[in-house]
Amino acid sequence: MDFTFSPEHKALRRMIREFAEREIAPIAAELDREHRVPMGIMRKLGEIGLLGVCFPQSYGGMGAGEMGYCILMEELGRVCTSTATNVGAHIGIGAMAIHLDGSEEQRRKYLVPLARGEKFAAFGLTESNAGSDAANISTRAVRDGNEWIINGGKIYITNGGYADVITIMAVTDPTLGARGGITAFIVETDWPGFEVAREEDKMGIRGTSTAELVFDDLRVPHENVLGKVGEGFITFMKSLDMGRLTLGAACLGGAQGALDWSIQWAKTREQFGAQLAQKQSIQWKIADIATEVEALRSLVYRVAWMVDADQPFTRLAAMCKLYGSEVASRAIDMALQIHGGLGYSRDYPVERAFRDARIAEIFEGTNEIQRIVIASRLFREHGVRIGP
Amino acid sequence: MRILVILRRVLDPAGIVAHRRLRRLFINREVYIIQPADECALEAALRIKDAAEAEVVVASGQPEPDDDTLRRGIAMGADRGIYVSGEAFENADEAVVARALEAVIERLGGVDLVLSGATTLDTGQSQLGLRLAEALGWPQIVGAWQLEVAGGEVRAVCRDSEQYIRVEADLPAVVSMASGALKPRYPDGVRLINIYRDEGEVAEALQLWEVDELLTPEELSPVVETLGRDFPPERERGERVEGPSEEAAQVVAEALRQRMRG
Repeated sequence: MDFTFSPEHKALRRMIREFAEREIAPIAAELDREHRVPMGIMRKLGEIGLLGVCFPQSYGGMGAGEMGYCILMEELGRVCTSTATNVGAHIGIGAMAIHLDGSEEQRRKYLVPLARGEKFAAFGLTESNAGSDAANISTRAVRDGNEWIINGGKIYITNGGYADVITIMAVTDPTLGARGGITAFIVETDWPGFEVAREEDKMGIRGTSTAELVFDDLRVPHENVLGKVGEGFITFMKSLDMGRLTLGAACLGGAQGALDWSIQWAKTREQFGAQLAQKQSIQWKIADIATEVEALRSLVYRVAWMVDADQPFTRLAAMCKLYGSEVASRAIDMALQIHGGLGYSRDYPVERAFRDARIAEIFEGTNEIQRIVIASRLFREHGVRIGP
Repeated sequence: MRILVILRRVLDPAGIVAHRRLRRLFINREVYIIQPADECALEAALRIKDAAEAEVVVASGQPEPDDDTLRRGIAMGADRGIYVSGEAFENADEAVVARALEAVIERLGGVDLVLSGATTLDTGQSQLGLRLAEALGWPQIVGAWQLEVAGGEVRAVCRDSEQYIRVEADLPAVVSMASGALKPRYPDGVRLINIYRDEGEVAEALQLWEVDELLTPEELSPVVETLGRDFPPERERGERVEGPSEEAAQVVAEALRQRMRG
């Protein structure tokens, strides 16, 4: 076992950290305050190749593997959860579905510009009656010659307001359900019949676009069916496995950021004539955060290694998301307590991080769903099948 | 045209704590970065390359070649890199490095422009360009803030304590860039990954030359002898002047006058 990062991954982390600290950290508060997606940052990330970090170089990517992708998400999550979320939705689920199950033509046409950051992607799964119960979607696709006509809509779609390409899931055979009845499509957002209905006004990650989408007789050519007709649910679940791992990596960054701020504050702040760092009550909090951060780091990069080594990882990806989101929330809650009144003030990033962290326990499958995924995989190994 | 850029490395200041009272340097993370002024020099070279056809060669002299310095330079856009290595660099001074560079230039078959940073971040060295230009008999521009190449000339904007000055020199020339003159670009991700894997268009872009093959033992002996290292004295704590701003300003002015006299 070798737990050291390769020289290329170390150099990649350094480059991303420099970019994150110089370009993103200074505007993170402004993005939150103005409810603004950092399009300039997204374009710059694309220019230096980071939006294709895990995709093969033959498809416009960087070829740094899932390991490189997790490094990107950790470093972005450390300074700005919103930017990490935009990037995660673009790479980790939007473009990822095309990478995993796209045809050669689809990869050439869509994955290449997405990997280069010339276009942006989103992933359309959730509907008003299909949240945790993702197979209960009602968006309908009906075949008409060489086209499909799609009617319905999606809600809470990250990047939905500005994406150029969206992968969506629609019912193609209502008699069959999740296995066989649902198909994935690649949709270009400037096609007639596609509309962004509204943007959510959210508690946190306010530097992201979370949109409601409406499809009104949206015509999609048959060549834009992603994977096989009837197998869309599988494509989407595979994409979510990837997304859950990298969301765990973004949470790792968030928790590390909380730890860094806490140590800095404990060094600077004096009460009762001594640094906070000299107080055992503070030391124990910091030690607890640091321990959880390291446990999470071990989990995230081990699973990234498993993905790169082509090993099955569904159960562990769910653990990354579940544990990562809870560690991030606990770490930021403790950081807020250490910072006292300052932590509660909008003048300081801890308050923003606190609001931003909460969503990670909800999106990409609630933590309750992650527990179901973990438990059902565990019980299956013992011959017990459990339903949701 | 061919541009040679010198890339030296320095311990990342974010990874060290200089404890002046204990007179000790605590190295928390032994991570090196490119000397910031040298990185500006590379940026200047890459901008010349962006505007016209040029080959940018980055070079670094180290006892043992490290993993990162020249790879980062190539990831930023340099065409190739030459590590000059050998034990002689353990205690090489700028005279030795300048001699090594002269030999590198000869082995490369000539260059049109040599770029480096004007001063180093850690030890404040600033003689490298001067010594190299003297040895080559080339003109030198020191501490450039802007740079362009046109019609066999290099034109720069430098500044002294009061003003900006425009200077020109015929090529070939040696130019040192001021730290902070330009914002260095980020490495390109694909080049970064490929240079570590020695793949793609940057495969075999890195070369290793032994300094012993370039210079004689006499040429490798430094002219400067380091007798020891010490810390600058601890800075005095500032004084806080309270009161209405006009009165406070007078107190500050008087204190400054006293200090200048004393």
